[in-house]
Amino acid sequence: MVKRTESQQEKRSSLIPAPVAGLLSLVVPGLGQILARYFYRGLLLLASMGTIVGLLAWRIHLLAHREGSPLAVLAKALQRRPSFVIPMLIGAVALWLFIAWDAYQLAKPEQRKRSGIVFLLIFLLFFALGWQITNIDLYTAVTELPDVLPRLSQILWPWGAAFDEITEVISAGANIQVPCTDNPPPPPEEIPGQPYVMATPTCGDLSVQDENYRLVPGTVLTFTGRGFAPNTTAEIWWFDPLGNEFRVRQEGEYLTVETDDQGAFEIEVTMPYRLIPSTAEGPQLHRIEARQASRVIGLAPSEALRLSIERMIETIMVGMMATFFGIILSVPVSLMAARNLMSGSWVTMAFYYIVRTLMNIVRSIEPMIWAVIAVVWVGLGPFAGFIALTLHSIAALGKLYSEAIESIDPGPIEAIQATGANRLQTIAYAVVPQMIPPFISFSIYRWDINVRMSTILGLVGGGGIGFLLIQYIRLLDYRAAGIAVWFITITVAVMDYASAEIRRRFV
Amino acid sequence: MYPPSAIAGKEMLEVRNLTKIYDDGTVALRNISFTVEDGEFLVIIGLSGSGKSTLLRCINRLIEPTEGEIIWNGVNITQADAAQIRRIRREIGMIFQQFNLIKRSTVIINVLAGRLGYVNPWSSLVYRFPEQERAMAMRALERVGIADQAYKRADELSGGQQQRVGIARALMQQPRMILADEPVASLDPVLAHSILGYLEQLNKEGITILCSLHYLDLVQRYATRVIGLREGQIVYRGSRDDIRRMTDEEFREVYGAEAVRVSVGLEGGAA
Repeated sequence: MVKRTESQQEKRSSLIPAPVAGLLSLVVPGLGQILARYFYRGLLLLASMGTIVGLLAWRIHLLAHREGSPLAVLAKALQRRPSFVIPMLIGAVALWLFIAWDAYQLAKPEQRKRSGIVFLLIFLLFFALGWQITNIDLYTAVTELPDVLPRLSQILWPWGAAFDEITEVISAGANIQVPCTDNPPPPPEEIPGQPYVMATPTCGDLSVQDENYRLVPGTVLTFTGRGFAPNTTAEIWWFDPLGNEFRVRQEGEYLTVETDDQGAFEIEVTMPYRLIPSTAEGPQLHRIEARQASRVIGLAPSEALRLSIERMIETIMVGMMATFFGIILSVPVSLMAARNLMSGSWVTMAFYYIVRTLMNIVRSIEPMIWAVIAVVWVGLGPFAGFIALTLHSIAALGKLYSEAIESIDPGPIEAIQATGANRLQTIAYAVVPQMIPPFISFSIYRWDINVRMSTILGLVGGGGIGFLLIQYIRLLDYRAAGIAVWFITITVAVMDYASAEIRRRFV
Repeated sequence: MYPPSAIAGKEMLEVRNLTKIYDDGTVALRNISFTVEDGEFLVIIGLSGSGKSTLLRCINRLIEPTEGEIIWNGVNITQADAAQIRRIRREIGMIFQQFNLIKRSTVIINVLAGRLGYVNPWSSLVYRFPEQERAMAMRALERVGIADQAYKRADELSGGQQQRVGIARALMQQPRMILADEPVASLDPVLAHSILGYLEQLNKEGITILCSLHYLDLVQRYATRVIGLREGQIVYRGSRDDIRRMTDEEFREVYGAEAVRVSVGLEGGAA
């Protein structure tokens, strides 16, 4: 009925006169068309009109749901978003009238014109509704662009964060006794050619908090040094007897000092606040040190780069292992899912349907969702990602392999059997050569998919580089995230090219 | 290389009351009986679905007959066990309408596949063949004129060349009989004559040929004897001279009332 030819349609005469059809469509959109024997057209128009009115009512309600009466709702919505509500109302009314006019045209006995303009109007109304429901906001997209550009440039070119500078550090320190006794430590001995520091006095009291939690500053030391690199910043470090080392802060800032032309400096250092356990008794020996990064002697991969490489290897391995196990396990599954092998009896046929159904269910659940389930099962990490990908691979490859088995050409089998070959020879000569190309092609294709999928399984805890990526994004470390993104992109591109190339060669 | 021509007129193959009913209830062959003598070029004619292919495949048991007996040089093929049937099959070459080559393998491997019934089965599984077998395969390819294509992939060859590979494969079996199932139905008329010419030459060297054909002109040119099948029954038997004189009535008897006699080169027609 849908695919009538033009001449057949000409013969269909309307059940009702044209004006009646128009009026009926004015009451119930599409009814006139249905009675004019344009059943599906009428139904489509009725469904479109209903959907448009329903969606429009929903959006207007959302704009003004606090108002009481429908009229008040409409008024409020008009006031809040006139650029949306007014054209939509006009469009809906126009569509209503158009449908009635369409019914009138179709029911006219002499020239029954079918016009497509009513469907154009329906498309425009759906487009406008879709625009509003999806919250498409080009203005925001343009005005907020400057906010994203620095992040984007960090992600696109993150290599500044890929390496850390290795610097040569020169340092010298002096012991400080806390608290002072009659016998303070002597200043350090000077070794020629080495940087030298000296603190006066060599003993004192640390900063402490009083009962009102106010800081009572400790003894001020005069810290002098010489033999450092000239005109370079030196950091002041403090070592307590518990083995902690930390940079000294003064008024919230790290304390630093610039050396002069001779590489000497002098600075006042207030002894810092340390909470030393009360079990420690007697005078304690602290230490103050000046450290200077004198020159850069090399570059070392940063933690982000090292982790990205490690996780990328993990990712590729997850994809590889999932493909490997997927291939091995899907072979028996595909044999059970091949109709031509299982059509022997009703038992095997039942088996075939069960395997097919299970495969379709497993395949229709995305690996991401399998990963969420696997994380609950075996915990966070690459093993969960491996399980998710393996399950999905078995189902996907099982289907592809079984279809390859089903489409095997029986001719060569017959021909090889006719030469007097035994069963194994027949398989080796007539079946295997036919199975190799699809087998290799599907397996490589699956490897490609699995590596690609494993890069994002980490987002839900399935291990691999995705885990690192989502961590860096949450830490707002866009450069590190950029490094991970680069590795994902390179790997996916290489896999994509390699897989296409290998398949092209083999098939 | 080929078995010496047996004494002409000696009975080689006897088919007795052969019936084949498929699992779905289709009766493909009904109570067929005929004999083939050594050195004959027996052509089976009949419409598509008349049972020609089933009959040829029953002879080497690619299809299991439902009833009846097939006697091959005194051995009952229908009673043979798996090992016996393989030995019988290797003496009966077979050629197919669709050539049935291993498309992705080389021509030489396809030809060597004809030796599978003779060679060491284990080394053949990894595609290893003794040197003399390879030399024999090259000679077979030379006979059909495509030795220069030996190392091409089978699917790179034209239809006529592929069928010649099929003949070479059958030759490797050193067959006493060749079953040819519509060997030229996929080829144009000129190639058809070329392929049937090879079969005729082999026939003259003593190999019995059982061949199903569509076109009456080819039948008249090559057959020494003809059997006509219709709906699984033999409706016509004729000698070489009978075929030459075959009338339109007899032709209709085989091909059905609506059939028109066509000559080679016209499409469709009797088929």
